Amino acid sequence: MVMPDMQSSAPKMSARGVNVFYGDKQAIDNVSIDVDLDHVTAFIGPSGCGKSTFLRTLNRMNDTVASARVEGEITLDGEDIYSSGMDVVQLRARVGMVFQKPNPFPKSIYENIAYGPRIHGLAGNKADLDQVVEKSLRRAGLWEEVKDRLNESGTALSGGQQQRLCIARAIAVDPEVILMDEPCSALDPIATAKIEELILELRGNYAIVIVTHNMQQAARVSQRTAFFHLGKLVEQGPTTEIFTNPREERTKDYITGRYG
Amino acid sequence: MSGETALDQSGLGVPAERAPTDWRGDAMRRRIARRYASERRFRLLGMAAVLASAGFLAFLLISMMGNGLRGFTRTEVAVPIDFPRSVAMIDPAVLQTNPEQALANANLPAVLEQATTQAFGVSDTQLLSPNAVLALRDAIIRDPAILDQKVTVNLPASTGIDVAMKSEGNGTDEALASRLDDTGVISTAFNLGFLTGSDGTDPTMVGIWGALKGSLITMVITLALSFPIGVFAALYLEEYAPRNRWTDLIEVSINNLAAVPSIIFGLLGLAIFLNVMHLPRSAPLVGGMTLALMTMPVIVIAGRNAIKAVPPSIRDAALGIGASPVQVVFHHVLPLALPGILTGTIIGMARALGETAPLLMIGMRAFVSQPPGGFTDPATVLPVQIFLWSDEVGRGFIEKTSAAIIVLLAFLLTMNSIAIYLRNKFEKKW
Repeated sequence: MVMPDMQSSAPKMSARGVNVFYGDKQAIDNVSIDVDLDHVTAFIGPSGCGKSTFLRTLNRMNDTVASARVEGEITLDGEDIYSSGMDVVQLRARVGMVFQKPNPFPKSIYENIAYGPRIHGLAGNKADLDQVVEKSLRRAGLWEEVKDRLNESGTALSGGQQQRLCIARAIAVDPEVILMDEPCSALDPIATAKIEELILELRGNYAIVIVTHNMQQAARVSQRTAFFHLGKLVEQGPTTEIFTNPREERTKDYITGRYG
Repeated sequence: MSGETALDQSGLGVPAERAPTDWRGDAMRRRIARRYASERRFRLLGMAAVLASAGFLAFLLISMMGNGLRGFTRTEVAVPIDFPRSVAMIDPAVLQTNPEQALANANLPAVLEQATTQAFGVSDTQLLSPNAVLALRDAIIRDPAILDQKVTVNLPASTGIDVAMKSEGNGTDEALASRLDDTGVISTAFNLGFLTGSDGTDPTMVGIWGALKGSLITMVITLALSFPIGVFAALYLEEYAPRNRWTDLIEVSINNLAAVPSIIFGLLGLAIFLNVMHLPRSAPLVGGMTLALMTMPVIVIAGRNAIKAVPPSIRDAALGIGASPVQVVFHHVLPLALPGILTGTIIGMARALGETAPLLMIGMRAFVSQPPGGFTDPATVLPVQIFLWSDEVGRGFIEKTSAAIIVLLAFLLTMNSIAIYLRNKFEKKW
């Protein structure tokens, strides 16, 4: 199934002319891109090209960096996420994030999942909450492995299980977009395969953006790919096109392994 | 490839071939022997250091216990009293309704005078503690039937006899004590009064409870003020405050404050709490506030370090699912930092508990013969009480001083144990 470049329905998230500065240094230069609901979008590029930085502007995690400054417009369902009317706490619930290193809370597995729904008031009572926890863990493909030890610490799980726990935690607050920042870079190949399987299953329910430095991974899980280099968005398009027939010379050099 | 050609072209040439390393040669053996020797030396030095500190601690404990444990006991004299033939004037009716009043008017000191003169040929003031009257009164209240009999009552001995029995008193007391000891009327009993009484003029009458309670109340004030202020200051500085010249200045100031000699905090307390705010002198309230000033920077510094040690990934995780900054701090950062904060608090509170100098400045060195009833009553604290008793000339105060030190150390150990228990409990949670 080859997706046309422009879709009929409005994109879930869209960025126009985004610049990001850390102090005087410009990290992102005039990036415009759309993220669609039924796609997995992959950001690829060499280290330090700004792909993670750009990802973190999509749910305003860069707000926590004092020197960071964002210009341009980023919208979620047509609403500017940097406008004063946007509640950043709610934005981060709607645009969930999975980080490079698995970072479960040092609490029980149950508490890890239940924390988000609890602070957002998504579950009325204990039974509801139990259900949300089970559903999220099932979605993340972790339920069978942990259902008998929900009260054990989340940090006692293996690395791959921890990362799936983090994905389950993000799913539990019922987000619309999930941002994944190199979710497999700290995992072994078997755990990586499980996460990739999970991404493919989640596709369609959530708009997923994944940053990866592994081009095979981008080719396997994504439908659209964006190639970043030195803070610029060099090329974007359907994944098959980017990998088989890139328009730009730099993209071609990168995916054939000239640099990276 | 390219590297080699570059070297050749620059004319430096290839370095001369190295002789193969002789791993079994004499030089190598000597080197290994030296390495092992230095390893052994280091271990011995470390053990010597540990042994030395353990030795100091043991010496301290043994000498304290040796002197101090006697402070918890008192010498008693078995005094035969023939109540029916004594000068006691007791109204049986009043004795039943209000025994204390009846006995207060019963001329008991004269009864003792009569009894000691008859039995041992000495006056009761030389033989018995001023407490003896109270002890006799309590004995009668316990069992009024003795008023109709000839009984022998164990009464606390005077300081002179007490000192003579425990160590070395003056000549007349020594003589009297050994004479009495030979007749078998002298015994030693646990001195409950030391744990329940307050400061007094006679060493046999003093107790530690007043100072202990004073310390307790003062510590409550100190903790209640310094812990929340210190923790909130640390949280704000670490989690909210922007990094700029002002926060740098505040950080330097707090670090300096932690190093300020304690007596200066006493002067500060005197100038502000007493002279400007007109709070009561000698009160645990002011003492606690002064010590809180001293403890707060310690908690801030320890708290900031503990908060800094919480991995940023936990903050990211919480922010990433939409926790507000306050939720991040109170649900994640603070619980994780709490063990570290508690450690700092223990250190700060232990220092405050042992502090004397600042409290002298705000008048907590007064002679207080009643345990404080509240935050604003005049009080003294354990270290000041130790300081006051160590200054007394009476020989009986020496063992009381040591006993008070034991109480202070026990208090300190209890406080620290509770804090360590709490810390471990919080650590286990995750």
